[in-house]
Formats: sequence, structure tokens, C-alpha cells
Amino acid sequence: MTWVVWRQYRMAGAIALALLAALAAVIIVDGVQIAARWHSVLVTCAGSSACLEQQPTLVNGVVSDLPYLCLIVPAVLGMLWGAPLVAHELEARTSDFAWTQSVTRTRWLTAEAGWLLLAAAVCGGAVAALTTWWSGPINAMTGGAFAPGQFDTQGIVPIGYAVFAMALGIAAGTVFRRTLPAIAVVLGGFIGMRLVISNFLRPHYLPAVTTYYHLTSSFTPPGQAWVFAQGAVSSTGTTVAAGWGDLYPALQPACQRLLPSVAGQGKSDSLSAVFSCMQAHGWRGFATYQPAYRYWPFQGIETGIYVLLAAALVAATFVIIRRRDA
Amino acid sequence: MSWVTWRLYRAQAVIAAALLAAFAVLIVVTGVQVASQWHSALAACTTAHSCGSLPNTLFLGSHAVGFLVIMTLGVPAVLGILLGAPLLAHEFETGTNLYAWMQSVTRRRWLLVKIGWLVLAAAAIGGIVSALVTWWSGPNNALQGNAFNPGRFDIMGIVPAGYAVFAVALGIAAGALLRRTLPAIAVTLAGFIAARVVVFFWLRAHFMTAVTSYFPVGGGAPTGVGWQLAAGYVGANGQPIGIPLSTNGAVLGNGSGVGLPVTSLPASCGQLAGNGQMTPAIYHAVVSCAQAHGIRGYVTYQPASRYWAFQGIETGIFVLLAAALLAVTFAVVSRRDA
Repeated sequence: MTWVVWRQYRMAGAIALALLAALAAVIIVDGVQIAARWHSVLVTCAGSSACLEQQPTLVNGVVSDLPYLCLIVPAVLGMLWGAPLVAHELEARTSDFAWTQSVTRTRWLTAEAGWLLLAAAVCGGAVAALTTWWSGPINAMTGGAFAPGQFDTQGIVPIGYAVFAMALGIAAGTVFRRTLPAIAVVLGGFIGMRLVISNFLRPHYLPAVTTYYHLTSSFTPPGQAWVFAQGAVSSTGTTVAAGWGDLYPALQPACQRLLPSVAGQGKSDSLSAVFSCMQAHGWRGFATYQPAYRYWPFQGIETGIYVLLAAALVAATFVIIRRRDA
Repeated sequence: MSWVTWRLYRAQAVIAAALLAAFAVLIVVTGVQVASQWHSALAACTTAHSCGSLPNTLFLGSHAVGFLVIMTLGVPAVLGILLGAPLLAHEFETGTNLYAWMQSVTRRRWLLVKIGWLVLAAAAIGGIVSALVTWWSGPNNALQGNAFNPGRFDIMGIVPAGYAVFAVALGIAAGALLRRTLPAIAVTLAGFIAARVVVFFWLRAHFMTAVTSYFPVGGGAPTGVGWQLAAGYVGANGQPIGIPLSTNGAVLGNGSGVGLPVTSLPASCGQLAGNGQMTPAIYHAVVSCAQAHGIRGYVTYQPASRYWAFQGIETGIFVLLAAALLAVTFAVVSRRDA
């Protein structure tokens, strides 16, 4: 069976390999330049944090968007390889031939699905390794590896996404028995699942940490934390977000008078009097965030969720295939 | 033939209409919230005299809906994959074209009606999605003034309709040439992304000659900058002043988004800054010195007034590409042996 799978997919495998090689070449050439720029910035900025806060531009041009384009790689794998796996056999009636050989249906599916899921994991992992390495200097400068968007393109989660998309394609093709509806389901299901999990589940994998601090001092969550909210909270529980856009109506009149009438001047200078006044009136600074040390636990949890979903879909596929009349 | 096309695509039409309706409900409901948030923020900042900092402090809408709006970038590709690529390839794969071509309808008429309705549907879907997104983004465009920027330009106005027509035409042509659905889908996806990238990165900035304006160091950049292409500083005889990637010293005004590090100034001006704190008096002295040396800031940009001209040009390019692809399709299909 392994030989059959190889014969069926050698063309697709060669194309995928060529595309991966092209991606690797572009990412590595650009990544070396980014790393060089980052090192020159580090030399200039040695011992000065204000220097880094200007956020010099490390990336430029077309390649800077490539890691985000890689977000669709799992969906493409699921659409072009996963969805047709069973559906196209049924559509072209080649399943009649495949299922009447000496190989059992279970073994046929195990070999076909097994190799494709493995290929998806390898593709997802290779792309993730490239983007993770490419993003290293940018992560170091912006501290944003945990932020939505960056988290999704780096580490091990892309492997989980790829395995899930492939399994979704295989299962959808088995249920619908037609390739095009299966492709549409992969597209909709993958995007929908990613949106739901990253927007509504991921923030709650572990309870967020809230740190309170004196408004007159500053506080930044250490390392590459994922900050949900930061601002000030009054003794009665009113919160104002950092950025202070809604500060005026929330303040006590005594503090309102201290607000600078023209915004945009050195914020820390003009607001320090306001902060002292707020502190005296019972306001505290707060930051709600997922600490940096939870990055890998979160990567593990998210990957685990997608791998479990994939396992459930593959199990459903086995049940349907075994029970179906040929 | 129109009736045949309707019978072939009624399920897809119902699903597409349902998805569009769901998207419209979401966009209208959240769009009303965004608009009211925008108006109350405007009222509050007018009271507090802090409207200047509003673009940095106000976030309109929710991340989830904002993300969904950006994802409408993918709508044309989906139309090309699901409607365009199978249009002919699936007929060839299943041999149903043989049946269709042996009826009293000529091959050209069969092709014309099918393609005509599908391209029209693609344009309508692209246009409706774009109209919803454009309306939803109104307050955000007013707040940030960035409707001309890459990424935002691509999901609003009339260009999404052009992209949709092109993607569907690409799918149809790929299906006619490759005669198999899956390869046609792969080619449509890759070809659509490639065409968009090429036009976006290498052509769009040059649709019309960019305008370069100069402004005094420390002063504000010109208004009406729709899409800023480059910014920097030049010396008295017009040679550009090198700006390092990062600086450890003070920086003079950044009306254009690019600051002028004191270390890039002539030594006589740099000495005025010293190593201590930058007081307003010192700042003005350094700025006057830089101005006396003839240093000016410049911005190269496409003015905001050209927004609709650019929308028209980009849409025209993609519609022309689509027409060329459809012409190829007609040639291929009419010459093929049945």
C-alpha cells in the first residue's frame, strides 16, 4: 500500500517539495538580512531602551507578508490533498477497484490517510520552522511572539493546524462523497474553527494574571507576554484603558482640572500630575495578561486541541468507510 | 440556457445568498455599534480637547469582526476556486460536456451563457461584500485616514469586484486548459495570489507619477497625503541625508513618520544639542540650525484625491486580464474536438 500511495502522490509530493524549497530560499535570504539589521540596531542601542522603543524597521518589501500568507498553508493542504482523498476515489469510481483487491478497506485507509497526515505535519512543521526562525529578531524587538497573528505562525501550532485541516478534508470528502463540496467545507470549517478557537478559547486556556501597581510608577509585563488590557481602575471599579482616550469623563473633578488641554505633548510629563491625583483618589494601575512563560504551554494546548479534533475526524472517517457499501 | 445554468447552480446560489445574508447581518449590527462608538468618542474628545491623539487611543469595533473584514481579501480566491475552476473542468472530467454539446445549443452559446452568468454572479458577490466592508470601515477611515493604504485599499471600493471577476475568469481558463478540477483549483489559487502580489507591490505605486512635497525640518508634513510611498530629508543641494536604522540620540520632528536624528545633522548643529536633556530652547536652536543649512524634509506620496482614479485603474487592469483569460477560454473550447 505504501508503494501505491507513493505512486498516487509522487507528482503532488514533487510540487510541494519544490514550493517548500522556493519558500525556504526566499525566507532564508531575507531572514539573514533581517538578522544583520537587528544586530546593527543592537550595537547602536546598547544600554538604551529609549532607542529600541522607536521600533526601527527591520522588515521591508514583499517578504514581510510571507509569514502571514503561510497561515493558509494548512487550508491548501486540506483542500487539495485531504478533500479528494476519499471523495475523488468515489467520484471516479476507482474505489470499486481499490476496495476489491486483497487489501482490506481499513488497511487501504490507514495507509492513505496515515501518509497524508504525516505529510501535512511535515509541511506544516517545515513552514513553521522557517517562519519561526525568520521572526526571531522581530520577536526580540517587539516582544510580540505571544500576540494573535504571530502566535499562529510560529512554534508547533502550525503542525496542529495542518493535521486538522487534512483530517477535516478527508472526513468531509468521506461524508459528502464529492470533492467540491468537501473543499468548500474544508475552507469554511478550517477558517471557522481557527476564528472560534483563537478569539474565544485561546485567551482562557489558563486564567489570565492581573497585576496592580502604583499609577505613578510604570509597569510592563516581563518578557513576551500577551497583554489583554492595561490601564487604571478606580476604587469603585471603573476602568480606563491605557491610551487614556476616555480618561476625562471618568475622573474626579479635582483631577479633571489637571488634564493638559492640548494632547500629544510628552505624555508622561503632562500626565504625571494627573496620575498622582488619581492615585490619591484611590485609582490603581492594572495589567491583565498571559505571562511570557506560558507561551509554550499555550502552544502545547492549542496544538493538542487541533490534534484531538483531527483524531476524532479520522476516527469518524474509519467508521463511515468500514460501514459503507462498496 | 439561462434556465440550465440556474438549475446547475441553484444550490450554490442558495448557499452563497445565505452566507452573504449572515455576513450582512453581522456587518450591519456591528457597523451601527462602531458608528455610535465613533460619534460618542468624537463628542468626548471635543469636550476634553484631545481629538489630536484620538487615532492612537481609540480602537473601533472588535478584533474578531475587524479580522473578519480583513479576511474578505480571500473572497475572490474562494469564488475562483469553487465557481470558476470546476465550471469547465468538472464537465470535462465527468464527460457531461459531450451531452451538452450534442444538444441544439451551440458550444459558443453554451459557453457564453454559463460564463456570463457566473462572471456576473462573481462581480455581484464581490461588489456586495465590498459595499458592506466599505460602509463598516467608514468611521475607521475617518479616524485613521488610511483608506488608500495597502491592505485597506484592497477590500473597499470597486476593486474587490474586479478581483472577483478576474479570479473566476482565471478558474474558468485554468479548467479549460487543464481539463481537471484539482489542478485548476491549485493554479487558480497560485495565479490569483501571484497576480495580486505583482500588481500590488510593483505596479500600483506607479499608476500615476507620485508627488514629492518638501517641508521645513520640525514642521508638519503636507496634508492630503493619501498613500505615503517614501519620506526622508535632503540637504541644501538636494542630496539625501542618511538616516541610520536606529539612533541613540535625540530626534527632530516626525511629521512624516520619519524622524531626523541629531547625529545625522552637520557637526555644528549636533553640538548645539549636547548630550543633556532636550529643552524646548535647545530644540528650536537645533531646528533653526538645520534649516539654516538648507535641510528640508520630503514626502513622496499619492494624494488622497487620486483614490478613485487608482481604484478605477486597478479594477480596469483586473477586468482586462479577465477578458483576456475568457477570450483564451473561448478559443480553446471552440477548437477542441468533442
